[in-house]
Amino acid sequence: MSFEPTEEFEQELQQALERRPAPPSLKRRLMERRGRGREPRRWPVAWERLAASLALFAVLAGAAAWDLHEREQRRQGEAARQQVLTALRITGHALDQMNDQLAARGRGEE
Amino acid sequence: MAHEWQPQFEQLVDEHQSMVFSLALRMTGDRGLAEEIAQDVFLEMDRHLGRIESAEHARFWLRRVTMSRSADALRRRRVRFFDLFVEIEEHHGAAAEERSSPLGARLEHLLTTLPEAQRAVLVLRYQEDLTPEEIAATLEAPLATVKSNLQRGLKLLRAKAEGSLKEFIRKKEWVREL
Repeated sequence: MSFEPTEEFEQELQQALERRPAPPSLKRRLMERRGRGREPRRWPVAWERLAASLALFAVLAGAAAWDLHEREQRRQGEAARQQVLTALRITGHALDQMNDQLAARGRGEE
Repeated sequence: MAHEWQPQFEQLVDEHQSMVFSLALRMTGDRGLAEEIAQDVFLEMDRHLGRIESAEHARFWLRRVTMSRSADALRRRRVRFFDLFVEIEEHHGAAAEERSSPLGARLEHLLTTLPEAQRAVLVLRYQEDLTPEEIAATLEAPLATVKSNLQRGLKLLRAKAEGSLKEFIRKKEWVREL
């Protein structure tokens, strides 16, 4: 058993695939969803604003404290570096003096 | 680019809801899911309404997005053939049987058992009466692939129909002989 000719089968298929009417609920639900999407945005209530402010304050305070700590660390590091440089300068100066004295003594013995 | 066409959203829904719903229904085989997809597609169109330039562009856009969203929905649900078959029996088949032609109802049912790519081109060809070139543009697929899927889908559907409709055809011929 077969469909003859092919056009007959295609015609049957075309009839079978006629558009279906959409359910009446489709448009109603769609318009409801669209309406909800267009509602003006609700402003946050007092406690939500307070919580947001506290969270923001905590973040900013944490950032400030961390920055302060970093600066103090850098300052201490710089002071230590300067101390080492000063010590090196003093040592270098003492060695130079000792070198000069040794050179003078050598010349006297000659 | 400025354009003159100023569509009313509600008017577009009235005009195209049947097309969008039918495409989604035939791709997914689930009335509830088809309705959900149709709503999503229209809401998406509402957000892009300013970019739609003409009535023809709106129709093309709706077809393309509906097919795409239906494919996404099927992928998400990972419906296996058996599940889809059972679902169609429950949701789609019942409605199909309300139609006047039992052969048409059977064909519509068998269509939903085809592979997704073949089903998509057959639905666009025979529901929407699109040419292979228009189908290729809608599905953003190569024309050769569309033509191949059309041929294969039609052949497979015909084979399935011939297998399952022998009794119906015999009755039809018997009626014709009378």
